[in-house]
Amino acid sequence: MSGVHDMGGSPGGPIDRDQHEVEDWERLADAINSALGARGLQTTDELRRAIESLENYRDLSYYERWTAATERLLVEKNILTREEIDERAAEIERRWSRP
Amino acid sequence: MTYEPGDHVRVLPSEKPGHVRTPDYLKGKSGWVESLIGAFSNPEELAYGLSGLPERHLYKVGFRQADLWNDYEGPAEDRLYVDIYEHWLEPEERGTK
Repeated sequence: MSGVHDMGGSPGGPIDRDQHEVEDWERLADAINSALGARGLQTTDELRRAIESLENYRDLSYYERWTAATERLLVEKNILTREEIDERAAEIERRWSRP
Repeated sequence: MTYEPGDHVRVLPSEKPGHVRTPDYLKGKSGWVESLIGAFSNPEELAYGLSGLPERHLYKVGFRQADLWNDYEGPAEDRLYVDIYEHWLEPEERGTK
């Protein structure tokens, strides 16, 4: 088996076919990936590889996997540091929690 | 090695680590080449920032569902078609289409 994602054909029980509205942050996650691809900074294959290597793959939703994998790739490629990402995330968190 | 439609092939039972595009449930299974889809950069190398060149042939490979699953209960003519890169295939003398 080549990874946690490679579950095709294994017993999995019923499939949840419920649809859900795409949330804004999910659209943003998609857009960021398109932009990174258009700039030549990330390929679909790299994203897939990074997604498959997430230790907490099974705990994450579809776009949570995208964002976690994108963060990993940006750090791996020295485009951003983890500290820069954490600082920015904290800044956004402060802005949102302002009364 | 280049395959023609109708050639019997077997998917390599490789446990190659890292990013591969061949699903686990097909490894070691026998089928036939249905058609050549084209030639593409190797995604297993693109996944690590490499060029993926030279391009690899990608085939549409057919399998009998009964050959893939234990106790398959569907109709005997059920088939499964999967895109598989040439370097995951080896020729097989016998086989059933």
